[in-house]
Amino acid sequence: MEFSELIKTATVENVVLSCAGLPAVKGTLCITSHHLLLSSCPGGDSQPGTMELWLLIRNVDAVEKRVQNLGWYQPPRTNGSPGDTRLAASSGTITLRCKDLKVLQLEIPGMEECLNIASSIEALSSVDSVMMLYPFFYRPQSLKLEEGWHLYPLEQYFQQISSQTSQWRLSNVNQDFTTCPTYPGTVIVPAAVDDDALRKAARFRQGGRFPVLSYYHPKNGTAMLRSSQPLTGPNRRRCREDELLLGTVLDEEERGFIIDTRSAQAAKQARMSGGGTEPKSFYPKWRRLHRPLERGRPLQESFIKLVEACNDSSISMDRWLSRLDSCRWLSHVKAALSTACLAAQCLDREKVSVLVHGAEGTDTTLLVTALAQLILEPSCRTLQGFQGLLQREWIEAGHPFHLRCAHSAYSHARLKQEAPLFLLFLDCVWQLSRQFPFSLEFSEQLLLTLFDSAYASAYGTFLCNSEKERCLCKVKESTHCLWAWLNQPGERKKYLNPLYTHNPLVIWPSVEPQSIQLWQGLFLRWIRSSQYLDEAWAEIQHLVESSKALGKESRGSRLSQSLSDPTARVESER
Amino acid sequence: MEFAELIKTPRADNVVLHRPFYLAVEGTLCLTGHHLIFSSRRQDNAEELWLLHSNIDSIEKRFVGSLGTIVIKCKDLRIIQLDIPGMEECLNIASSIEALSTLDSVTLMYPFFYRPMFDIVEDGWRCFLPDQEFELLTSVVMMRSSQPLTGTNGRRCKEDEKLINATLRPGKRGYIIDTRSLNVAQQARAKGGGFEQEAHYPQWRRIHKCIERFNILQESLIKLVEACNDQSHNMDRWLSKLEASNWLTHIKEILTAACLAAQCIDREGASVLVHGTEGTDSTLQVTSLAQIILDPRCRTIRGFESLVVREWLQAGHPFQQRCAQSAYSNSKQKWEAPVFLLFLDCVWQILRQFPCSFEFNEQFLIMLFEHAYASQFGTFLGNNENERSKLKLPQKTMSLWSWVNRSEELSKFQNPLFEANSLVIWPSVAPQSLQLWEGVFLRWNRPSKFLDEAHEEMINIIKYNKELQAKVNALRRQLAEMETDERMQENL
Repeated sequence: MEFSELIKTATVENVVLSCAGLPAVKGTLCITSHHLLLSSCPGGDSQPGTMELWLLIRNVDAVEKRVQNLGWYQPPRTNGSPGDTRLAASSGTITLRCKDLKVLQLEIPGMEECLNIASSIEALSSVDSVMMLYPFFYRPQSLKLEEGWHLYPLEQYFQQISSQTSQWRLSNVNQDFTTCPTYPGTVIVPAAVDDDALRKAARFRQGGRFPVLSYYHPKNGTAMLRSSQPLTGPNRRRCREDELLLGTVLDEEERGFIIDTRSAQAAKQARMSGGGTEPKSFYPKWRRLHRPLERGRPLQESFIKLVEACNDSSISMDRWLSRLDSCRWLSHVKAALSTACLAAQCLDREKVSVLVHGAEGTDTTLLVTALAQLILEPSCRTLQGFQGLLQREWIEAGHPFHLRCAHSAYSHARLKQEAPLFLLFLDCVWQLSRQFPFSLEFSEQLLLTLFDSAYASAYGTFLCNSEKERCLCKVKESTHCLWAWLNQPGERKKYLNPLYTHNPLVIWPSVEPQSIQLWQGLFLRWIRSSQYLDEAWAEIQHLVESSKALGKESRGSRLSQSLSDPTARVESER
Repeated sequence: MEFAELIKTPRADNVVLHRPFYLAVEGTLCLTGHHLIFSSRRQDNAEELWLLHSNIDSIEKRFVGSLGTIVIKCKDLRIIQLDIPGMEECLNIASSIEALSTLDSVTLMYPFFYRPMFDIVEDGWRCFLPDQEFELLTSVVMMRSSQPLTGTNGRRCKEDEKLINATLRPGKRGYIIDTRSLNVAQQARAKGGGFEQEAHYPQWRRIHKCIERFNILQESLIKLVEACNDQSHNMDRWLSKLEASNWLTHIKEILTAACLAAQCIDREGASVLVHGTEGTDSTLQVTSLAQIILDPRCRTIRGFESLVVREWLQAGHPFQQRCAQSAYSNSKQKWEAPVFLLFLDCVWQILRQFPCSFEFNEQFLIMLFEHAYASQFGTFLGNNENERSKLKLPQKTMSLWSWVNRSEELSKFQNPLFEANSLVIWPSVAPQSLQLWEGVFLRWNRPSKFLDEAHEEMINIIKYNKELQAKVNALRRQLAEMETDERMQENL
């Protein structure tokens, strides 16, 4: 396929762009293979030739068009000649609803141009082939292609664990992705279980997702494992290797907890379709707890309803609160945090190991295991550590980003496999950051960027559904890594929390409904101006920086140093 | 009356104090005329709790055998529990607290007995006198009044018409913002009240913006606090109770009316008259908030104090009546209403939206809330200036401002991010933008340790910053002097 075939009209003059909270601008609209550009007209209100819009077309979630005729002319309802020159007196409006929840409006002179542009955007934004996406074409000068892809190897994570215990080993059983198509090539498993047993256990778990180590809690020597549901089915099938695998995790007297992220009833029903739960008789040392978490379609609908309510500008307070309630998003946040706390509590307070799974083990399971680690483990709360966590527990763990993030809250397309689990995770992290403003090294800005990038990005990090697919598409060879870009000194600074101080403790969030808040920074980002909040944030950053700089300087002995920056800058700004 | 008569058991030992998020502590309970004092004499963490009786909103007692339990609910919304051994002691203490917390006479209140331990730098009773506060009148003004007494016969008053017309610029119209619905305003005529008839006030356009008053507000507060204390851990229940309380709706209505008044003045260049019925409640909410939106001076600490004095105290908001009880009271008197708390909540909403535009912080607003309901200072006693002067408050009590406006106190209330913003600040009043004021309503229900620490750290950083900056400046001066010396020597 050639992109140019999809672009019927590449350039239109005198297009007016409007966007809530900003003055409208007029300019020239261009469509390229991956971008929608608008540069303002010379002599207009703004600077001549300024780029006003640089939108990744992949970011477009829904295109709505409205054409209207100006003046007296009414086109005949039938037999309208397309070549009629009087049509030029018409114009059209395209509303672009983006995956990052921004809404843009383009007023385009000329009905035909308008229709062409709309259909081009529609076609380009729904290109299905991964290798046609922008990351495969994006070549920034400041980065090298291979940079950042191997920043957080599992081997390195395993080294930390193996320095504490010899109970675990690295296994390459999935090197060719045949044992489990959604696991990475290398996983951490109990040392006492050989690869052959793993292969057999994999056949007993949905999608081959046999239990693997997610997190080792060094304080108590307890472990968190994750998997998919066992395929017990209606005949109560069992698998000795799977039982053995989970058995070796626990010592003679130890007990473990299985946190099933489905309701007891849903888990029972799953037997009819071949799934099920670990029966007590075959897993005597494990106790099962059910903590139902929403996923799939209901979660996507919750997201859609919330965004709808946020965008309703003529809503009364009663109506707003009841819609906030009925969309149930905050209940999902609360449930996810509560379940993560339960897992963390088992590991830290009850001193028992935990296995987490739902059905596929690629959604709510990862939500719980990733959050629990953030609560327990201070090293996950640094900027690097958090990237490592995302890499290990979301990307390599096989969360199907491509399917889940295909559409966001505005799409009219029929729902397939979309669900905002990653957004729910980010929201929970935000709740943590609000309750512990000191303990996370990264800022809200990072969470926003991650949300944006999961849905549309110039980088390859969130492409595809699994490591296997990434391998096939040569993502690591042909696209740039988001982490490489984020970790450049100039960029990194934007994502740091100036108030961060290392907190070695477990951070137990309050999960009372009164403590859970709407993430305004995300859901109202394009609706309310955040100018004043941003300024406050910049001021905090500035204060902390200059205090650090001053601290260093006053310790320095050379008098003349005090005349150079950054203090001089501080002075001149005051 | 002697307080001693009301105190049958002045002291009880082995009392256990329970508070949310703290471990229970054992200690001694003492009652004085104005305070309930609990002190734990444990060597490792000796601590004392002093509670003003006037801060107590309600008290409940219950018994298990001879162990009595008193639950004390305070006007600042805190709830504590005391386990007292001995049924008689417990009953005595409970009845003393009940009596002491509901003293009728103002002159028996603590401000008349309180003798400050600090040096007074500036007497707060004298720092906001009306003539000092009288400012240059611009051509556009905001006025407030009560409703006109037109009655059923459409009575008019030429002097009233002349008075308000005098504020209009030639050819300009003014706006009357009536804080009642049109319906209520029309009904008021039957009781002798009413509104300005168009025929007699042709240059004024009347706009009705309904703001609730009295028991509707008090009930809203009671419901909100109940919802905040709900322990059912259920999100649906919380959100529907929050909605049912209507508190945020009231916030939205008040802010909307204030924005409208500010808009008439700033955008239309028109004079504004605000009134409801008495002109002592919703009227003051609107006029004071409009000033915060428009006038940067009202966003400084000094300016805000002056605004509270001018637009609330001197303007005759009946603090003593309105703040007699808070959310836990069972009395339900019709004159009790959290009008001032709603005002402070609205200020907090604006502050949250414009975090750099205010010289004061959230703590300052919370402090004012506390003192309006129970205080050692005389500032919020009485219902109007007339009563205050009869009570001789300036002579007999200490002003809150004398205490606040000392540098050691002020530093707690300063917003480290403040940078004077000379612009009008238009808050968003969309429901999505308004939030529950956690600092007041969830203050005692959440472990605030980390948030408090964050705030302290900010203050430390700023202090440290200032110190270092001073050091650098000194060094820089020194260097400049040395360079001048050097140059002079070279020249020699």
